[in-house]
Amino acid sequence: MEELPGPFPVGRYARKLQEELRRRARVRLVGEVTGVSRSRVQAYFELRDAEGAVPCSIWLDDLEKAGLPEGGLRDGAEVVIGGGPDYYPGGGQASPSFAFRATHLRLAGEGDLIARLGALRRQLRAEGLFELQKQLPRPRLPKAIGVVTAESGAARRDLLAGLRRRGWAGTVIWGFAPVQDRRAAPAIGAAIQELAATPAVEAIVVARGGGSLADLWAFCDETLCRTVAMLRVPVISAVGHERDSTLIDDVAAVACSTPTHAAEAVVPLDCLAAREALTRSAVALRRAGEGAVGARSRHLVALARGPARALRRERIALNQKTREIRAASERGLDERRAFQRRLALVVLSRAARRAAGADAEGRREALRRAEVAFRAHEPERTLERGYALAEDSDGEPVTSAATALAVGHVRLRFADGGVGAEIEQDGGGG
Amino acid sequence: MSEAPDSYEAAVERLEQIIDRLDSGQAGLRETLDLCREGRELVTYCSTELDAVSEGLEELRLDELAAKLEQAPGDHS
Repeated sequence: MEELPGPFPVGRYARKLQEELRRRARVRLVGEVTGVSRSRVQAYFELRDAEGAVPCSIWLDDLEKAGLPEGGLRDGAEVVIGGGPDYYPGGGQASPSFAFRATHLRLAGEGDLIARLGALRRQLRAEGLFELQKQLPRPRLPKAIGVVTAESGAARRDLLAGLRRRGWAGTVIWGFAPVQDRRAAPAIGAAIQELAATPAVEAIVVARGGGSLADLWAFCDETLCRTVAMLRVPVISAVGHERDSTLIDDVAAVACSTPTHAAEAVVPLDCLAAREALTRSAVALRRAGEGAVGARSRHLVALARGPARALRRERIALNQKTREIRAASERGLDERRAFQRRLALVVLSRAARRAAGADAEGRREALRRAEVAFRAHEPERTLERGYALAEDSDGEPVTSAATALAVGHVRLRFADGGVGAEIEQDGGGG
Repeated sequence: MSEAPDSYEAAVERLEQIIDRLDSGQAGLRETLDLCREGRELVTYCSTELDAVSEGLEELRLDELAAKLEQAPGDHS
């Protein structure tokens, strides 16, 4: 460090520092007042926002000129101050101090707040904090919900009425908190975190009635909004009226314009309608079940009846056939009888014709042919051809040499008559 | 019950699928009976869920709840 200039006496350096700071540009700052204190001649406070703070001081004369209402400079007040940095070098007994020396001071107006809100909104959006809550699943039928609101506000009553209209009668856990002063944002943040840490709580509503942006400023608190954005339980905001837009609306899962709408968002299911729909589903199921079984059992019964019906059909057909056959066979018998009758008639008529001699000529001719054939075989025809017939004395033919020798005497019949002949042993040898 | 649904909305979604399938007339007898049984279980589940938020709105205060939880261990001693 020996290469650094100096060493210089510190008092001289302190005065130089004061000169340097006082040469810096005079500006306006906006922020929230905290830690107000007063001495006989000055008022001290810190001006802060979520990113940082500056210690400030103002001469009581200057403060008086600002014309603030009684108690206007108080913790939590949003103010705009004009001035520049200053340094008090201290003295033999007094401690040195740095402060932004305000020469002008006024309460922040709507325009200042809107400008601050715009900057915060851009910042949180750029960090992606608007999307986190919107990605959380929201139960359609939570059994327990948490609500952060003022204990005495109309928002509480309106929310309960909205829940009852949906037929919802679960558990509400109230996290009552101030909703409008400098303590509001930390208290709201703490209540939301406690509710989110309660296992039964499935969704959280943050509700407050309408007001000016300054009234609703607690719901634009950066710390509170960062807390909400990071919660794993969905938060439904219902802060102010439709035209009011606070930062918590941007980071919440759902932003509603009224507590009544918040009731619909935190319990999306209309329980009364759901009960009716469920009854219809139960009826549809019963009908489907009975219908399916009924239709199929009827079909089965029909199938089971099938064979019997087929048998009956066959039996009827069979009976029909039997009747037809019987009829046919009766017809056949009749025809046969008729045929036989016709046949008998033919036979009888032919017999009659025979009896009447119609066939006699034929028969005579046949007889004649038979007579010729018969005569061809008569012995006389043989005798006529030169043969002789040997007969014994009784007229019986002698047909062998032995019989002729035995009888000794035969009669030889020739065609023209008979002669006797003596038989003798043939000694001639032929 | 074959398998408890994850949530009321999951149960209702499945129930609607079942009724659509039954209405289509495409389900066979076995499937129809299975779907009807599953559907009845879902109806029972949903009905129980609705009953749970129908028995009278209960209001608790976070500060009292916290005090109760803090007292709870002492109650058992």
